[in-house]
Amino acid sequence: MLALVILLAIAVALLGVLVVGLLRSHAEVLRRLHELGAGIYDDTDDSVGGAGDATAGVTTPVEIKTQPGVAEPRPIASEPSAAQAAATAHDISGATPDGGAIAVAVNATNHTTLLAFLTSGCSTCQGFWQAFGAGEADALPGRDTRLVIVTGGADRESPAAVQTIAPSRHTTVMSSEGWDAYEVPASPYFILVDGPSSRIIGEGAAASWSQVFELLTNAVADAGIDPLGRAVTTPSQPGRMNGAERADRVREELLAAGIEPGHASLYPSHGDVFPEGQATDSAQGRP
Amino acid sequence: MAKIAAHGLSAETPAGWDGQIYVRRPLPAEALVQTAAADRGLEARVGESTAPIVHLANFPLPADRADFGGGAVELMESGAVFIALIEHDPAVVDTPLFRHPVPWPLSPDDFAPEQMQRTLPGQAGLQKFFATKGRAFCLYVVIGSYRTRGVLTSVVNDALATVEIS
Repeated sequence: MLALVILLAIAVALLGVLVVGLLRSHAEVLRRLHELGAGIYDDTDDSVGGAGDATAGVTTPVEIKTQPGVAEPRPIASEPSAAQAAATAHDISGATPDGGAIAVAVNATNHTTLLAFLTSGCSTCQGFWQAFGAGEADALPGRDTRLVIVTGGADRESPAAVQTIAPSRHTTVMSSEGWDAYEVPASPYFILVDGPSSRIIGEGAAASWSQVFELLTNAVADAGIDPLGRAVTTPSQPGRMNGAERADRVREELLAAGIEPGHASLYPSHGDVFPEGQATDSAQGRP
Repeated sequence: MAKIAAHGLSAETPAGWDGQIYVRRPLPAEALVQTAAADRGLEARVGESTAPIVHLANFPLPADRADFGGGAVELMESGAVFIALIEHDPAVVDTPLFRHPVPWPLSPDDFAPEQMQRTLPGQAGLQKFFATKGRAFCLYVVIGSYRTRGVLTSVVNDALATVEIS
């Protein structure tokens, strides 16, 4: 009988410890959820959980952090005009690592451009430099997507250091103005520009090239561009023009002759084509 | 319109144009000889001239391309133009080949398919040598379509009008 009482007491004590542990764990979960902002927009009615109420939702901004070495996202513009300005692309010009000068067209082109903002010093960037040098970015999704590497200018970077790691198979521009124009928050950072519309269609940061490639694929697909980068027209045979080339030729020759879109000669009247008295059956329509 | 300037040359690139001014890197063996010669205060007479080169194009210039556009002109479509301004050793300024004034503005009749470094279907080119301000140059231009050389020549002339040699 005594042994049974002792066992029962031990069991009750263990259950008590278990209950206390569960309550502590629950309190810890609630505290973490509170820190993460759970219930942030739950209280639309002030009568329920007003200010000072312990059950009120979180009303302070929630801090979101990225992995170490990965840039944080750009702040979202509140005004539509500011958002539109932020999405406007800029051409890149600056110096080459070997002391030359270079200008790269980003706007008003027929292709998409992937701008890779890298530095020579950041550890996360090293993986990208190596991937680009190894040819992993030679084929990119999108409309003839072109990779352009942008580092800071000589005021921020050592040209000798950049020259050592810059891959010869890709264009590298040293341009602090480029960083400022795009308001690059940190490195590495990637911006995808649609040339025909001169608009930024995607941007972000990642820790590896494979992640950027996936983001790039999604961005071009979201923009309505063939992710596989397939040509819309078939390439021309040697010595022959394809449809697009013939259209270009016709357009250029018409422009050279002073015939622009909307020119009256492009829209002849019935009388111009079939002078009076010479109308054909087909022109007048057969019964 | 962006302005590029280096090595006493400058140009402006219209919207949609690429441009670069660079000095051709010597081959590794040439670089070794040139470095050794420079250390001894000597002039290394090895390799080609490493004088500046200007490239202008209304299409994306590939990073890996030759001085006369090899690797780039093969990518040109019918409306594309490629301009290369290649400086030569000042010692040749007074030779008959370079005894000509600045050749632009160009005429459509200056272009011919036979003037290409390597003939490509539909394309035409021109090559002119000249000297100005004590510097000797070769102007090499490729247009994507010989048929529309009238239109493309004016495009080339607009770009060349921004080139300044000091």
